[in-house]
Amino acid sequence: MKVSQVPAYLRPGMRGRTVPAMTVAVDVDRLQRDLEAIVGPRRMSLRTVDLETYARDMWPRLLLAYREGGPAALRDAPRPHAVVWPEHVREVVALVKLARSYQLPIVPYGGGSGVCGGAVPLHGGITIDTKRMQQLRSVHTEELICDVEAGMSGERFERELARRGYTFGHFPSSIYCSTVGGWLATRAAGQLSTKYGKVEDRVAGLTVVTGRGDVIETDGPNRALRGPNWTQLIVGSEGTLGLVTSARLRVAPAPQLRVFRGFEVDDVTMGVEAIRRVLQKGLRPAVVRLYDELDTLMNSLGGSDHAPARSRTEAPSPPVATGALPAWPAVEPTREDGVIDRLLAFARGRTTKQVALNAALGNSHLVNKLFGAVAEKVARRGCRLIIGLEGARIRTEVEAALTFHELESLGARDKGEDPGWAWLKNRYHVSYRMSPVFRSGAFVDTMEVAASWERLLDLYHSVREAIGRHAVVMAHFSHAYVDGCSIYFTFAGTAPDARSAERLYDAIWRDGMEATTRVGGTISHHHGVGLLKAPYMQGEHREAMAIYEAAKASLDPDGVFNPGKMGLRDRWAAASPSSHAHARGEYGSAPSPSGVRR
Amino acid sequence: MSGVLPLARELAIAVGADHVEEIDDGAWRVTPGSAAEVAEVIQRASSHRAAVHPVGGGARPVRVAARAADGTPGGAGADRPRIYVSTRRLDQVLQLDESSLLVHAQAGLTGIGLERILAPRGLSIGDYPPAVLTSSLGGIIAVRTPGKSSARHGFFEEAVVGVSAVLADGRSVHTRVAPRRATGPDLARALVGSEGTIGFITSVVLRIHVKPESRLFAAYVLPSIDAAVSAIYLALREEAAPAGMRIYDAAEAAQHFDGLRLPDDHALLCAATAGPTDLAACDRDLITSAVIAEGGQPTETSLAELWWRRIHAGEPTPGPAPTLQIMATPSKLRAVYRAVVRELAQQGGSARAHISRFDADGAVAFFTLEHEGAIADDAIVTAAERAAEAAGGWLLGARAVKLDAYLRALRETIDPHRIMNPGTLA
Repeated sequence: MKVSQVPAYLRPGMRGRTVPAMTVAVDVDRLQRDLEAIVGPRRMSLRTVDLETYARDMWPRLLLAYREGGPAALRDAPRPHAVVWPEHVREVVALVKLARSYQLPIVPYGGGSGVCGGAVPLHGGITIDTKRMQQLRSVHTEELICDVEAGMSGERFERELARRGYTFGHFPSSIYCSTVGGWLATRAAGQLSTKYGKVEDRVAGLTVVTGRGDVIETDGPNRALRGPNWTQLIVGSEGTLGLVTSARLRVAPAPQLRVFRGFEVDDVTMGVEAIRRVLQKGLRPAVVRLYDELDTLMNSLGGSDHAPARSRTEAPSPPVATGALPAWPAVEPTREDGVIDRLLAFARGRTTKQVALNAALGNSHLVNKLFGAVAEKVARRGCRLIIGLEGARIRTEVEAALTFHELESLGARDKGEDPGWAWLKNRYHVSYRMSPVFRSGAFVDTMEVAASWERLLDLYHSVREAIGRHAVVMAHFSHAYVDGCSIYFTFAGTAPDARSAERLYDAIWRDGMEATTRVGGTISHHHGVGLLKAPYMQGEHREAMAIYEAAKASLDPDGVFNPGKMGLRDRWAAASPSSHAHARGEYGSAPSPSGVRR
Repeated sequence: MSGVLPLARELAIAVGADHVEEIDDGAWRVTPGSAAEVAEVIQRASSHRAAVHPVGGGARPVRVAARAADGTPGGAGADRPRIYVSTRRLDQVLQLDESSLLVHAQAGLTGIGLERILAPRGLSIGDYPPAVLTSSLGGIIAVRTPGKSSARHGFFEEAVVGVSAVLADGRSVHTRVAPRRATGPDLARALVGSEGTIGFITSVVLRIHVKPESRLFAAYVLPSIDAAVSAIYLALREEAAPAGMRIYDAAEAAQHFDGLRLPDDHALLCAATAGPTDLAACDRDLITSAVIAEGGQPTETSLAELWWRRIHAGEPTPGPAPTLQIMATPSKLRAVYRAVVRELAQQGGSARAHISRFDADGAVAFFTLEHEGAIADDAIVTAAERAAEAAGGWLLGARAVKLDAYLRALRETIDPHRIMNPGTLA
């Protein structure tokens, strides 16, 4: 056995302690031969450049480490023993059997756009990239169900459906760099989820290669089958129970009509109440977004909503107003109209020096207050509410009229269509705006939590306060349901050196997650858990984790699938006496949130 | 407490002697008064390796399993004691959150009982057939049986936001309530449909609904069953979300609506829409347009009103209960209907049907099979089932056999002594 050190950046809040990551000593030549026998020489790699590439996903904490550590950070990072690109289920089965015989971990890998470290090969092993399983096999137009392979990219999937007159209705800002399988693994949500639901609401069945090396299919009408719902047990398991190779997903006819509008409300409380009333009336807008004062201010600084946005929309095909296709993202990487850029530009505008930026972000509680005051004094514009409906023409028209009427009767002020179209046009930008921030020396991340309506404002104030101690924080409310809503916090911080930046980053997450659990929210609405939130899974599920562990024991008896994630028992970590925290699902030094019983 | 006392004594300690009843040799019915008492009963059962069988509100009589000569199902030997744990006393609403439209209710409360509490507040459990709601909430969600679906409010289990249950070792689990989450598998869904094998459900958090502003009804005659099915899916594609729809073939329509004579092969379609008045009217108009597009015509609205009253207000439906229920996805529905009718004709009998419970998965066809003037015998029913399956239909209550090994392994981990409802789902 070779014991390697997990680098510090993979141990949130665990500075100074050592978590050995044990990797099985592997006869690399033999492994190479065995993999070649399964997928051939061209669809596997043991080359350093590939192993380093597959050592990470888009978890901002990793970006932070790489920015500081450069290539050296890559050398220290755990990396897979091999990367393979299977094209067929039977190859995946053979790979699982091989991994079991070697007792090597398997890490499923889709687009690599995850933001929680879920695809980090903590103990090495075989990383299975699904991107060569990428066919939309069929669309059953009567059933409104399609059969799609897990590695298909979100953008291609949506375009293929659009070509046939359908939509999956799932538009995450990562649509250009995430896969269908990744969505299923994390219970992802798209921007139009209020109408179409999250991805788990749209799954009719899965084909899964389990840790036993079997292929199972979970299809079948719910009410005709007895027993637990295996589809819902596997969706969201982030590769810990098996590898989803294809799925039957529900599609909808492409929308015939889109209606978008901006409203203005006095404050968050009023906006939240308005959204609740609309949803509970039985109306189903596709998108509802309420920006808090700071987020509203940031949005307006770019001024992108003042020009008539529709005419500025680059010509997508079919037109953005009616088509199911996402608008092309504007290729203007240097223009500072992203939310985060604007935040930085705003801070910069006060003095042009980098030092001042650091000072501003560093004294975040002051900045939060300052921005609050600015928002109040200068803008006095309240909070922005974007609402959009789409779908079949007649029903959408009727629903839009009822929705707008309801909002106005609750005191929201109609700001016309432009803010709505402006949002639609810019909606994918956030995923492409992170690196400039990191390059500028700061860091930025997002925290998406959710709660029932009754607890929602509690959640908002508690988490805002918790993050606000450390960083500049703003929020919007999106993904609304009849019984509750999610809140998307964006925070930006900076610190004088790498170590304190990491410490700050960890403290933000620790306090934010604790605050969420304390007020009865869920720690993740759609980004998933991965490594980032693994320490908080016990607080989230408490004794119910026993059911997850039992499902794990059943579907992956050897524990080869994505070990060390999700707060599950990790056989490689458990093998080491110095890492009990790991075995208890407390990756790193899990904090014991006050008021949370473990 | 670990097995030192006789089980009956321990049960009396757990729930009070008044709530323990010996119903057979080695079999007791206990009626705990709280989730904590359920946990205590199961903990004590576990130390005695006694089987724990949940009993709901009593919609169905308890069948005490005969003592197996060799190995009770579950394989723990012949002398395993059996405890029937009734949820009858767990019939309280624990919390009603009217702003989130969530209710936390104990498992023994029936759907009707809950509806009675909600109705005065202008709330409702949803447009589910009251026949289903006579069961306890724990039973409704623990067992997947047909009829728990509504076009407007979906499949009943989708209303389940959280479940509290006791595991085999007496631990209580409470799945956390959130509108949606991305924190691993939906653990509540492991308990829903598990028929008491993974955990004993003690309470459940359900999504509820505001009573609709308006209810509108409409009835139509269409030239064929196929046309009626097409009209429904046309309307659903236009995003109509009716509260209920039902297709009758001509023979069934004559049976259900005294004196209604449709031309041969024609079909009757009844629809109910609900919601804000404008939306309910919009949905009704969308259905009307779809019907006309498929060559149909509106007819007496009173037919649809009568249909709705029969389901939701307890007015009796004439004729025998359906003989056969087949679930079919949208593309198979017509073929399943034809296959059963053809099969009965070949057997010298006749089949009539109504098709109901339309949702994203499809719909359920309820057949009445007759032969020589009486209800068809089992042999003919079996033949009809085969014909329906061959045409792509699903018999309700089938099991995903391929996954049995996985369920078994899951149960072995969470219930190593196999005390939780042994013999079920095995």
